[in-house]
Amino acid sequence: MIEAFQFLWPAFLVAVCLVGIHAYFGIMVLARKVIFVDLALAQIAALGATVAFMLGHSAQSMATYGYSLTFALLASVLLAFTRAWGTRVPQEALIGVIYVVAAAAAILLIERAPQGAEHLKQILTGNILTSGLGDLVVIVPLYAAVGFLHWLLSRHMSGTGSLVWEFVFYATFGIVVTSSVAIAGVLLVFSFLIIPAAIGMMFAALMSGQLAISWIVGTFVSAAGLAASYMFDLPTGAAMVCAFGMSLVLAGMLYPFLRGDRPKAVRMTIMAARWTGATILAASALQLAGAPRADQPLLDIAEQAVPSLRRIYFTHAETTTFADANEYAERYRREAEQLNERERRNRTQGQSFDDFAVARISSFLKSYGEMRKGEQFVMGEVRARARERIRWSAGLGLLAAAIFVAPLPWRRLWNRG
Amino acid sequence: MALRSVLIAALLALAWPAFAQDRLEVVTTTGDLRSLTEAVGGNRVTVTSLVPPNIDAEEYQPKPQDVVRLKRAQLLVRVGLDYDLWLDRLLAQTGRPEIGRGGPSYVDASSAVAVLELRGMSVGPGDGHAHGSGNPHYWLDPKNAEIITANILEALARIDAANAAAYEANRQAFLARLSAKLDEWESKLSALRNVPIVAYHNSWPYFARRFRLDIVSFIETKPGVPPSPAHLAGVIRDMHARGARIVVREPQEPERDVAFVASRAGAKVVTLAASIGALPRTDDYIALFDANVKALTSAVAEQ
Repeated sequence: MIEAFQFLWPAFLVAVCLVGIHAYFGIMVLARKVIFVDLALAQIAALGATVAFMLGHSAQSMATYGYSLTFALLASVLLAFTRAWGTRVPQEALIGVIYVVAAAAAILLIERAPQGAEHLKQILTGNILTSGLGDLVVIVPLYAAVGFLHWLLSRHMSGTGSLVWEFVFYATFGIVVTSSVAIAGVLLVFSFLIIPAAIGMMFAALMSGQLAISWIVGTFVSAAGLAASYMFDLPTGAAMVCAFGMSLVLAGMLYPFLRGDRPKAVRMTIMAARWTGATILAASALQLAGAPRADQPLLDIAEQAVPSLRRIYFTHAETTTFADANEYAERYRREAEQLNERERRNRTQGQSFDDFAVARISSFLKSYGEMRKGEQFVMGEVRARARERIRWSAGLGLLAAAIFVAPLPWRRLWNRG
Repeated sequence: MALRSVLIAALLALAWPAFAQDRLEVVTTTGDLRSLTEAVGGNRVTVTSLVPPNIDAEEYQPKPQDVVRLKRAQLLVRVGLDYDLWLDRLLAQTGRPEIGRGGPSYVDASSAVAVLELRGMSVGPGDGHAHGSGNPHYWLDPKNAEIITANILEALARIDAANAAAYEANRQAFLARLSAKLDEWESKLSALRNVPIVAYHNSWPYFARRFRLDIVSFIETKPGVPPSPAHLAGVIRDMHARGARIVVREPQEPERDVAFVASRAGAKVVTLAASIGALPRTDDYIALFDANVKALTSAVAEQ
């Protein structure tokens, strides 16, 4: 626990800083309906860095940062104008075009640059886990300055002002995104930007309330995502994005209970759950009856959770064959693993194997792999045959369960009949 | 008009072998195989590699020109072991059975190589490779060059029997040079015996086996998936426990993640090239090992 904390607190502080500035920009971006503008700006900045790299500047130099920033500022001019053009074509379409063209242009440039691809990748795929105090030293003053500027100019930042103020908005946003994407990656920055802001706008009408809710939600969800990534051994950025996604789902489900007609919300929730269950059951019934040898997600999950379920529809012989094959497959896997481990240890310890010994190990491993595949085929075949046998009875059973779960108005249907 | 262009095209197509006769056109997937093919073919072959230097061959996206190159190729040499899977679709598009799997002008350089870390279909924990065909980085054992060049020699002798003796002589000369170099590399790398090393990606089992290097863990557990915090914490704990002072990274791997681990564990980052051209001064097969050996030995000398 203490180790986890020691390991994660720098990333948590960085996440709090990123939530702080991005939740604010998220509210502005949602109000302007330019949801994907951060992707476009980040991609343009990456294009700038690529150009700098091609001109011979190193990845971390001031010149490269200058190129990124210049490109982002040029894009900001374009973005400021898109509102004027956006009368017939939605602004979001133009933003999407900026994004794909910048991405494609960077690929074309990289084709010609030695060692270029990895730099482009590193600009757009930051990893918040490996960020730290060095990043905080840069972003805290930067974000504070941007935040202060926006507070001074708050009257002009509503998205209805002149082109100059729009340019200032996009330019400062570009500066923020250029740094944050390099730290946390495109996916996570997008989540920081949109999800806390969306939740804030769900539950509050005033900007101050929206901001407060966004910050609180963003901080808690970041902490939860980081903790989950440690506990369940998951890649940090992806775990945090999914945590943010779940928080939005939860907020969406809570909304009708907090803001709407409560009894109706409860009724609707139960209805939705029953319809979902009925649909899954009915689809599984059709899948089992129609294609018993194909994947049966519902049955597979149930058997995974409670393996003894198989005994219900396997004959005695099938149960034995299945268990035997499973045991053999596992044994071959273990033996191959031991052989691999022995080969690995021998690289540094003891007398090293000669080439013939290595070749023999290699061919043993190949055989174990084949034998294991054979056992797995047997398991699949046994199960498929058992399922073929019960396709109609179990299919009808599942269908009956589906009808039972579905919230159909039976009484009314009955009376009418 | 159309007839005339068809006629010209047909005549050119007929005349083409006459132009190409003096040198065999060989296409390889990677630069490593290009260098080894050049070593065997000498001045009787022109070798082109499809993957440009310093592009990750496992993630290469073929270009239209690659089909043209394959259409002209008289011999095709590939890495195999699922390393250059994209080639199969390209071959289907080219539609020339003689350079396709099993054809007379098709060389899978991995055949007869003793493959390490075979794990069948499923992936073992934390080995960083998703393919069931074993670890594909077999050219990083210089001894395997004997097998790879033998595979190439066999195919060259088959399609150009008149020059078979010359190819064999080229190969022997190259292997003699390589063997002298191998002794040199082995003695230099003996300084790294019992020096625990951490690598970002599991590209080095063949290299480690040949030079008896102790690669204790990997930062990346699955290709392309960023490491989880628990895994990174475990790697850093291991590094402290075993005193690992060197982290090996390839140029296309994320600098920040490697630097993070290295700084937490007080280790030095060494950038190695797993393929020709990935770093400056790694222009042929022997230079590749020279550069890697130099990078490793100087990292140890500094500590």
